[in-house]
Amino acid sequence: MKGFTHFISGIAVASFFPQAVHMASQEQSFILCLGGVFGILPDTLDFKFARYFHTSDFEVRPDPNDLDARIIAKTVAESMEKAARDGRSTVQLHTMQLGSNLWRSYTLGFDSKTNEVVVELGPLVDTGQVPFEGTEPKDPEKLTARVKVSLPFFQEFDKKSNIAIMSGPCFEFVRRDDGRLEIVFLPWHRTWSHSVTLGIVISLLVALVSYLVVPEGPNAAMYTIPRWLVYPLIVFLGSLVHIVEDSTGFMGNNLFWPFTKDRTSGLGFMSAAEAIPNFFFVWTSIICILFNLDRFRWAPDQVAAGIPHPETFFFWFYAVPVAVMAYFFLKGKHEKDARKAEKKEVDFDSPTASERETDASVV
Amino acid sequence: MSLLNLLLHPEALDLVYFTIIGVLFSLFVSFLPALHIYNILGIFLMLVLKFEAGMSAMQLVALCTGMVVGYSILNTVPATYFGPGDESLSYYVLPSAHWVAMGRGYESVILTGVGAVGGLVLLAISAPVFLWVLPGLKSITSPHMFWIIMAVIAYILMSEWPKGVSQSKSTWANFFEGWKFLSVGLLTFFLSGVLGFIVMSKTLVPLEFAFQSITPVFVGLYAIPWLITNIINAGTIPHQHECRSLDLDWDLFSRGIFGGFLGGFFAAFVPIVTAGIGGLMAGHATAQRDSRLFVMSYGTCKTVYYVGSFMLFFIPGLSLTRGGLAWIVTPVVATLTMKDYALFVGMMLVATGASFMLLMPFTRACIRLVEWIDYHLISWVAMFITVPMVYYFTGWGGIAIMTVATGIGLLPVLFQARRMNLMGVLLLPVALNMAGYGNDVLRLLGLL
Repeated sequence: MKGFTHFISGIAVASFFPQAVHMASQEQSFILCLGGVFGILPDTLDFKFARYFHTSDFEVRPDPNDLDARIIAKTVAESMEKAARDGRSTVQLHTMQLGSNLWRSYTLGFDSKTNEVVVELGPLVDTGQVPFEGTEPKDPEKLTARVKVSLPFFQEFDKKSNIAIMSGPCFEFVRRDDGRLEIVFLPWHRTWSHSVTLGIVISLLVALVSYLVVPEGPNAAMYTIPRWLVYPLIVFLGSLVHIVEDSTGFMGNNLFWPFTKDRTSGLGFMSAAEAIPNFFFVWTSIICILFNLDRFRWAPDQVAAGIPHPETFFFWFYAVPVAVMAYFFLKGKHEKDARKAEKKEVDFDSPTASERETDASVV
Repeated sequence: MSLLNLLLHPEALDLVYFTIIGVLFSLFVSFLPALHIYNILGIFLMLVLKFEAGMSAMQLVALCTGMVVGYSILNTVPATYFGPGDESLSYYVLPSAHWVAMGRGYESVILTGVGAVGGLVLLAISAPVFLWVLPGLKSITSPHMFWIIMAVIAYILMSEWPKGVSQSKSTWANFFEGWKFLSVGLLTFFLSGVLGFIVMSKTLVPLEFAFQSITPVFVGLYAIPWLITNIINAGTIPHQHECRSLDLDWDLFSRGIFGGFLGGFFAAFVPIVTAGIGGLMAGHATAQRDSRLFVMSYGTCKTVYYVGSFMLFFIPGLSLTRGGLAWIVTPVVATLTMKDYALFVGMMLVATGASFMLLMPFTRACIRLVEWIDYHLISWVAMFITVPMVYYFTGWGGIAIMTVATGIGLLPVLFQARRMNLMGVLLLPVALNMAGYGNDVLRLLGLL
């Protein structure tokens, strides 16, 4: 899911605490923002920290002056062969920046039917990934390459990755019990940072601090939980909602790191980059926030409700928009399935929505 | 039909006249280089139009409506070719510069215009719904506005991802390369915020021009760095292709309008939040990827922001004063009725049609201009107009503020960080003041 989706979902979770809403409206507390901050934190940890400290066994640094798809494909295949021998191996693919706004693109695919690594050199592109037509390398010998791998392999999305701008993607190959290699995209992503374990550890630390420094506050008798406990609960639930949302996609999370070693597959309901699923979560969060801010308003017997008829509110502002979203989402899904049924084979030459999740620039 | 009767009533025809005049003025105003819309309109109304005292309240509103609608649609053109005047525009200009570099600037402008018209039509359709929804929304969000703005700040800062492309063997070298950009973004936001506190508490601008105190800040943060970039840019603008049709379908159109409308409405409703910020958040919320979608959605977003914030003022019983233009008309518009609201919506639609008709010839004229005159020269001329104008209205104090702001405004340009961080100049002081921490910060800075 997009960062904004996680952020606003975290705020929505925080708004379910009446004490937090009262602290915001009566004491000018920023406590509700805490949910948003911890909602987006798992991705912040991955993309601002973890990615830099992940080391790979193999690195692909294509030479823009001597481009050869075979060299790239062979390096990736070598990494897979190492995984076949040793159990695990990783490969980092780098981009080729030729100017401040100019990059050479290439694609990498794993054809599980033929057991081959497929690499194709692409055109020059700008930072917006707009290709410059006719700039593909001319030598047909070096333009594409297919290199065979000894073990069969599989991955969640049997598609290609486009490597063009900024940092390139990283793949991990893991030998499984059935003798096949699993291809794991961005092995440093959605692991420890997206675990329930980390959420519990951070909230315990926050609980310790808040227990020591947060006073009881006014009107304590109104609430079922003490004020100091609200902080760690918002922190924990904010990060948990991120994990739950990510689990609806294809990639999944490593829920109980370090007790579990690998990232589990997601439920596959939707792709993280799709517009409607993202907006569904955003809209649900907005509706929850507004409803909670209204029902937990201070002195409800003196201040008129902003939402006088919740049933009407939920019908017009939630049920109707969700029905419209569901219609367009299912329509798009059927159209995609129909296109898939027509093609029958994996197409390495055209992008699809689910493939976009393997594009590092999207994640 | 009743709206039509109201508009076609001879009593209202002078309003149509003033609306059209406003649109024509906006054509001129949008050409003034690199100044924020409300400052230009404020100067225009208070200094140029001395006869405003002789106008009726609704005639002034019609003039302002024409100007703000015209400006919000037409300013895309000079912003695309000569540089943006504020944060709302700079968010659009970076992607549109790629289109200009590909010779597709005309297409980019027209796509933005289509988005703007779509947004304004949707705004008119939503007008009755606003009467039903907005009073409740206002009562729910009013006590919470300060943390909503703080949440916006937190998201802006946390959603900027590293841009470093270091491929060193050293993990720390890669880490520092990535964080170089993020650190500049954070520093920019922090310095802008401090500048905002200083300007708001101890302005150096003469009292008679206090309403312009923020002008040198915006000129320094946005306009001058952009003009400097234009002047030192070694490139040339390629021949611009004037397309006869747009690569656009209903799916793209509806998604662009919808996303842009959400962002624009959010920016209009929440104080201090601009179209750039609203557009960024709505773009992320609706997972926009296509560059056509982005450009068109931006057209919707900024128009709904500029016009929507003015429109909120006219909703009877709501009393929401958002944006500089609403403050300008506040002294002359005493009470607001349903008829005034309906008239506003009508004038908005008249201005929308007139502005869109002007968009294509105006764009062609700008293209001729940049093909005829070197844009480096145009940027120099803009610089020679802008700086004396700041001096004229704000004196040496304003020039000092502008110089400091220019230093901060150059940071994101030099390090390719997000220019949106410059909005810290308003976001940080306003959020902290609303939360009641403003004086503590001023004491910390030694300003109180």
